[in-house]
Amino acid sequence: MPESIVNILDIAIGGLLLGGIYALIAMGMSLQYGVARVLNFSHGEFIMVGAFSTLTLYTVVGINPLICLVIIGPVIFLIGFLLHRTLFHQLSLRAPNADAYAASSILASFGLLFIIQNLALLGWGADYQAYTYLNFGVSIGGAIFSANKLVILGFSIGIGLIFYIFLARTRTGKGIRAAAQDPATASLMGVNINRVLALCFGFGAAMAGIAGVLYSMRIPLNPAMGTQYTIIAIIVIVLGGLGSIPGAFIGGLILGIIGEVVTSIDPSLSMAAYYFIFMLLLLVRPKGIFGK
Amino acid sequence: MDTTRFKSKGFYIPGIITLIIFAGLVTLPLFGSLYNVILITTLLMYANLTVSWVLFSGLTGYMSLATAAFFGVGIYASALFLPITGAELPILVVVLIGGLASSIIAFGAGALTLRLRGIYFTIFTFGLVVLIMELLNWWELSVNKILNRYIMLVDNNYIFYVMLGLFVLVMLTFFFIRRSKFGLAMRSIGENEEAASHMGINVTMVKIVTFAISAFFMGATGAIWATKLSYINPHEAFKVLISFLPVLMAIFGGMGHIYGPVIGAVIFAYLQETLQTKFSEIYMLSFGVVLVLAILYMPHGLVGLIQKVWRRISGGKRVHT
Amino acid sequence: MKKRLLIILIGICVVAMMAAPLIMTGCGEEKETTAPTTQPTTTVPEGKPADYYTKEYILIGASRPLSGANAPIGDAAYGPVMKMWEEKVNADGGIFVADYDRKLPIKFIIYDDATDIGTMVRLTEKLILEDEVDLLFSACGTAFISAQAPIANKYSKLLITAEGGATTMRESLPGLPYVFVSLPFSDHYQLPVFADMCAAKGAKTAYIISIADLHGVEYGGVANMEFGRVGIDVIANKSVPITYTDFSLLVKEAKAADPDVFCVFAYPPIVLPVTGEMMAIGFNPPAVIMGPGANFGFYGLSFGGDPLVVEGVTCFAAANSKTSPEFAEAFAALEELVGWANLDWWGAPYYLPLVEIIEQAIVATGTLDNDVLRDYIATHHFDTILGDTYFEMFGEGGGLMVKETHPGEIGQWQNGIVEIVGGGDWPAVVLTSEWVYPKPDWPAP
Repeated sequence: MPESIVNILDIAIGGLLLGGIYALIAMGMSLQYGVARVLNFSHGEFIMVGAFSTLTLYTVVGINPLICLVIIGPVIFLIGFLLHRTLFHQLSLRAPNADAYAASSILASFGLLFIIQNLALLGWGADYQAYTYLNFGVSIGGAIFSANKLVILGFSIGIGLIFYIFLARTRTGKGIRAAAQDPATASLMGVNINRVLALCFGFGAAMAGIAGVLYSMRIPLNPAMGTQYTIIAIIVIVLGGLGSIPGAFIGGLILGIIGEVVTSIDPSLSMAAYYFIFMLLLLVRPKGIFGK
Repeated sequence: MDTTRFKSKGFYIPGIITLIIFAGLVTLPLFGSLYNVILITTLLMYANLTVSWVLFSGLTGYMSLATAAFFGVGIYASALFLPITGAELPILVVVLIGGLASSIIAFGAGALTLRLRGIYFTIFTFGLVVLIMELLNWWELSVNKILNRYIMLVDNNYIFYVMLGLFVLVMLTFFFIRRSKFGLAMRSIGENEEAASHMGINVTMVKIVTFAISAFFMGATGAIWATKLSYINPHEAFKVLISFLPVLMAIFGGMGHIYGPVIGAVIFAYLQETLQTKFSEIYMLSFGVVLVLAILYMPHGLVGLIQKVWRRISGGKRVHT
Repeated sequence: MKKRLLIILIGICVVAMMAAPLIMTGCGEEKETTAPTTQPTTTVPEGKPADYYTKEYILIGASRPLSGANAPIGDAAYGPVMKMWEEKVNADGGIFVADYDRKLPIKFIIYDDATDIGTMVRLTEKLILEDEVDLLFSACGTAFISAQAPIANKYSKLLITAEGGATTMRESLPGLPYVFVSLPFSDHYQLPVFADMCAAKGAKTAYIISIADLHGVEYGGVANMEFGRVGIDVIANKSVPITYTDFSLLVKEAKAADPDVFCVFAYPPIVLPVTGEMMAIGFNPPAVIMGPGANFGFYGLSFGGDPLVVEGVTCFAAANSKTSPEFAEAFAALEELVGWANLDWWGAPYYLPLVEIIEQAIVATGTLDNDVLRDYIATHHFDTILGDTYFEMFGEGGGLMVKETHPGEIGQWQNGIVEIVGGGDWPAVVLTSEWVYPKPDWPAP
C-alpha cells in the first residue's frame, strides 16, 4: 500500500482512537454539567483516582484492569452520589439562583480538587508509577495501532451507547432527561429531582473513574496528573455543546482528529489549536456544534 | 448598598481607621522586619487581584476566570522590558505598560464576548489564560528561541511601595465606582441585565470599560510582582490557580462590603502561608477543606458572618432591655 | 449606630490581620531570647560568634516541591540524599565547627513550594530572613533554581544547586558569586559524548522529539549542533507542548523516517508513553536516548514490572553500584530509603557529593559564615564519592562542577540495570559496560 495512504489512515484512525479517549474523559463531565449543573473542575482528579486504584489492584492484588472496571466504577459512583447528596445539594439549597449555584459549585469542585489530590499524595505517594496492559500493535489496513487504544475506543462507544439506551428506555433515564430539560416541571411530575441529580453526578464521576481505569493502561500516573484532563474535558464539552452526551462523544472524536492533523503539521501548536478552536466556537456558536 | 445610608454619621470612624492602617503600612519598612515587608507585599498582591476582580465580577455578576491571563501579561511585560541585563525602561513605566497591555486585551476580549453570559463567559475567560500561555510559549519557542527570562532584582521596599500605591489606587477606584452612577449601572446589570438596558444604561460600554479597568490593575500588579520572581517562563507566568484564588478570596471575605474582598484576600493569603510552612504535608487538604466550608457556610463571607453575629448580639440586647 | 460599630469591628480585624505577622515574629524572637537564660551567662570569647553558647544546631533550609508536578522528581532526587545525610551526621553527633569548639547537629526546615515559583521565591526569602538559616539548600527543577540563584546571591547565601542545570544558567553564573551548579547538562558534557559514541558506531541519521520548554529547547538545540559536528544528519526536531498527552502519531512519523538515533528530550510523563508506543508499534531504532526519565529505576519497572523489557534504552547516567565500592554503599543506602524505583543514576552521583562538600568546607573553615564557605569552596578541591571534586569558577562569579569530575555521562539499560557506557576522556571516568549498538529488539508482547 502506498505510504501516503497509510499516513492518511494513521491520522484518520489515530484521530478516532485519540477521540475515543477524549470522549470517554468528557462524557462524565458533560453529564454532570448537563443535568446536575455542576461544572466539575475536579473531574480530572476522579480520573486520577480511577487510574491509581487500577494500578494498585493490578500490581498488588493482580486483578485484570478490565475487571477493575466493575469494581472501581461502582465505588466511584457511590462517592460521586454521596458528594452530591451532601455538598452540592447543600450548595443548591443556599444559592439564590441558577447562576449563583453554577458559580459556587465550580468553586466547591475546585476545593475538592485540592482535597482529592492531597489524599492521593498521602495514599499513593508523589512518585511516577505505571504499568502497561494490552500494549501491542494491531494492524488496520497497513497502519499499526496499539491494542489498548482500540479497547479504549470500544469501551468509549460501548459506554456511550449503554448510557444512551439507559436514558431513552428506562424510567430513571426518562426522569433524568426531564430533569435536564426542566427541573421544576419534572419535580411536579413526580420525579425525585434530588435523587436524579445525585445519580447523574454519580454516573459522571463513575465515567471519569472508568476513563481513569482504561487510560491508566497507557500513561504514567502521579497525583498531579488530573488537571490537564479536566481542561481537555472542558474543551470537548464546549465543542459538543454543554450538557449533551452525544455531543460530548462526537466532540471528543472531532477534537481527536483535529489533534492528529495539527500534530502532523506542527506538534508544538497542538494545544494552542485546541484552545483556539474552543474559544472560537464559544464566540460563534456557544451552544456547541450540536447544541440546539 | 449599605455604604450610602450611613455616610453622614459613620464616615469619620472608618476614615480614621483607614488612615491609621495606611499610616502603618507606609511606615512599615521603618519598623517591620524585611520579611514582614515581603509577606505584606504578597498579601497586598492578592488584595489587589481580589479587589480588581470584585470591581468587575462582583458588581456585574459575570464570573471572570481571566485573572491569571491579565496577571501573566503584566508579568511578561516585566520579563520583556526589565531584563536582568539592565532595565530598558523605568520600572513604573513598565508597570503602566503591563496594566495597559492587560486592559487592551480585556477590551478586545470584552468586545468579543458580549454575547456570552453565565457559564459561557466563565469558560471563555478560563480559555483565555491557557490560550495566551500556549501562544506565548509557541512564540518564544519558534520566534525568539528563548524559554526563560531573567528579570532584574528590585529592592523589596520599592516593590512594597509600588504594590501599596496600586492597592490605594484600586481601593479608591473601587470606592468611587461603587458610589457613582456608573457603579449603580453595573449593579443593575448584575441584578437584571435586560431591565438595565431598558433603563437606558449602555450595558455593553459599562461592562467593557469596567473589565478593562479591572484588567489594568491585575496587569500592573503582575508587572511589579514579576520583579520579585527574578525568573519567568510562560508556564510559570500563567498559572490557572491565580484565576481561582481571587474568586475564593472575595467569597471568603464577602462581597457585600467594600472591605470584604480585602479582608478575604489578606486572611486567605496569610492562611495559605501558615499552612504551607507549618503543615506542608496536608497543606492542600486543609486548604481545600477551608475552601469548601467557606463556600458552604459563609455565603456572604467573613463580613457577612460578622454582620450576622452582630445583628444577633444587638438584636438580643434589644429583647432584653 | 450598628453599622458604625460594625465598621469599627471590621477595621479592628484588618489591623489585627496586618499586625498578626508582626506579633508572630515578635513571639518568635521572644522564644529565642528566653532560651539563653538557661545557659551560663558568660561573655562570648574573643573572635567567636555571638551565639557561641546558645547555638544548638546548624539550621538548614530548603523550599522543596512536596506537592504538585515536580513532587515525583523532588522525592527521588536530592530529597533522600538530604535525609540520609541528616541521619548520618546526627548519628555521629553533628559536624565539628571550630567557631563553636564543638559538634553541632544539623536540623532541616523544609517548606512545600507546591511547584510554584512565586511561592518558592517567597519561602526562600522567609528561610533567609525570618528563619535565619545557616545554610540554604537547593530548590528542585531548572526553572526553580534559575529563580532561586539570584535571590540567594542577593542575600549573600551560598547555594549549591541540585536538580537542574542549563546552558543559560552557565551564562548567568559570572554575575552570581554565591551560586554553584553541580548537575551535568546538555553540552556539559552529555551530548558531545553521546554524539561521538553514535558517530563511532556509524550512525548516519537522528530524529529528535523535545518538550516545548527550556529543557527541551536546549537539549534539542545542542543535539542538533553536536550531531552536526560529527556528521550525523538530523532528520527532524519536533517540539511538543508540556501538556500534550498522546504520542502515537509522533512515534509513527519517527518510525517512518527510520532514523539510526531516536532522541526524546522530555520528562517522564512523555518519556514513558513514548516508550510504550514504540513497543506497541515495533519501532526499534539502533539507538534510543531518553531523559530525564529513563535514568530512574521506575522507568524500568513501568512496563509490566520487569526492567529487562527496556533492554538497550540509552539514558543520561553518571554512576551505578559498579562504579566504586563507595557508590555501591551509597546506592544500597538510598535504595533502602526510597526503594529501587526511585534510584537516579544521573542525579544522585552529583547530589551525594554536595553534602560532602558542604560538610568538609564547614570542618575545614570552622565556621558557618557563608562568605568564608563560599570562598573556600571556590578555591579548593574536595575528596568526595566522585574522587577529586572541584568547581570551575567564572571570574568573580559562581562555579560549575568541572566535567573532569564526572565519572560518566551516558548509561544504558542492560540486564535490568543502568550500566555506564559513555563518558569523556579523562581519568575520573569509570565505564561499567560496553554500549550495545544496535539495541536489541523489544521483547514480544
